[in-house]
Amino acid sequence: MSEVRKRRFVVTRFDPDRDAEPRSQSYEVPCQPDWKVLDALNYIKDELDPTLSHRWSCRMAVCGSCGMNVDGKPTLTCKQAVDGYGDQIEVEPLSNFPVIRDLVVELEGFLEKLQHVKPWIVRAKEAAVEEGPLRQSPEELERFKQFSYCINCMLCYAACPVVANEPEFLGPAAIALGHRYNLDSRDEGAHERSEIFRGEGTVFSCSYANECSEVCPKHVDPAAAINQAKFEAVIDWATHLVLPRGGR
Amino acid sequence: MKRLLLRLEPIIWLLFGQGILIGTILLTGWVLVVGLLVPLGVVPAEALGYERAHRLGANPIGRLVLLAIAALPLWKGAHHLRSLAIDFGGAHRDALVASALYGIAAVGSLLAIAAVLSL
Amino acid sequence: MARAADPRAMGASRPGRTRTAPPRMPPEFPFAGRYRAYTLFDATGLVYLLLGLLALRLARALAAGPEAWEAAMASFRHPLYLAFHALALVSVIFVGVRFFSLFPKAQPPKIGPLAPPPAPLIKAGLYAAWIGVSAALVAILAGGVF
Repeated sequence: MSEVRKRRFVVTRFDPDRDAEPRSQSYEVPCQPDWKVLDALNYIKDELDPTLSHRWSCRMAVCGSCGMNVDGKPTLTCKQAVDGYGDQIEVEPLSNFPVIRDLVVELEGFLEKLQHVKPWIVRAKEAAVEEGPLRQSPEELERFKQFSYCINCMLCYAACPVVANEPEFLGPAAIALGHRYNLDSRDEGAHERSEIFRGEGTVFSCSYANECSEVCPKHVDPAAAINQAKFEAVIDWATHLVLPRGGR
Repeated sequence: MKRLLLRLEPIIWLLFGQGILIGTILLTGWVLVVGLLVPLGVVPAEALGYERAHRLGANPIGRLVLLAIAALPLWKGAHHLRSLAIDFGGAHRDALVASALYGIAAVGSLLAIAAVLSL
Repeated sequence: MARAADPRAMGASRPGRTRTAPPRMPPEFPFAGRYRAYTLFDATGLVYLLLGLLALRLARALAAGPEAWEAAMASFRHPLYLAFHALALVSVIFVGVRFFSLFPKAQPPKIGPLAPPPAPLIKAGLYAAWIGVSAALVAILAGGVF
């Protein structure tokens, strides 16, 4: 027997043209038992307050658009059932990000970090088309597969205390992505990326909070990637101290 | 200074990692005996009287163990305190704080090497 | 309201077209939720630093001679030192447990031609080493052997 339950949503509002700083606004939402937090937000926008702005798209936890802080924790609102919460639910924009409006955060900084790690196959020399495609065995795929599951939802950035305090830090998703390519058997750019990992955005800034992996909805485990990347970066650094051209 | 710190990060991280790994494994027994059991009298003081302590410490393995216990935790400590400082909004003075902390660890390590060599 | 993050956190290299609200840290930071364990973990840095310095002091005392050594060992009987060492023991164990749970996944998939053993084996090995070395150290220091 479905029971509609009224819950209060305390939502952050911010209009740069009108508000000096973000404020809270409460909405009473009659929640269906099978609703996700996103359903409630869409109800607010459709029925209560059309001025509320929030990002969402696929409604099935693959696009990464709907990340927000729910009751203080970075969450994919399309994935999180309302049922797990109490009578009052707080919805805020993702932590550690500048806020454009209401629940919408600035993405540009994140995209810059992603691009910085060269997230593509780097070849010393491009193979000729006649040589056919680059082949990869299932075992070689397994090595990096987990780290390729990232949907760029940025929950890990919202959870990371280092991201909050060190603006240059590359951050979990970017490092995991770079590491994914380092582990890809088709890639030959590991040294370039190791230098990036030891540069301004240094992977060594990671201080083992492990929060990134705790909040990741796709079980990418960026903390594993970052700490593997640290080790690899040290090896790369040592190898190039002794053999300047990496033994080539 | 910031560039220098960046260039030294790999080695600092290695020392920090060993500070946690080897340091923790060695410190548990050390703190238990030297910090608690002997001062509390549970273990008789003669067990670590000068004669015996010096014999253990001057042994090649003893020297290494003593060096590890004196030096490696300093790097773990320095690195974590630096993180703590940054976590509480200290990114702008990080170069200063890091230099001071790693400086203590470096000086301490050198003094430890000197002490262990003179046993 | 959550603490302010660095104003440049997650900022773009060029400003956007509208004014943004400054980034805020995760609300549970630093002492709530899982961040409490994290902050404690960082704070153990102070304990380790002091432990290292105290061990250094002992090493130097040992090198200096019997009076210096006996004086240093005697000073550890002071209640403040005892309290510190009790806290230190708890801290070291806390660090060990947290670090050992992280260690297996931090291993690269391959070190040269060798793949690391499966995670449960690594963990078992770490704990075996921890307990084994601690027991050996206690036995040696407390006078049981050598």
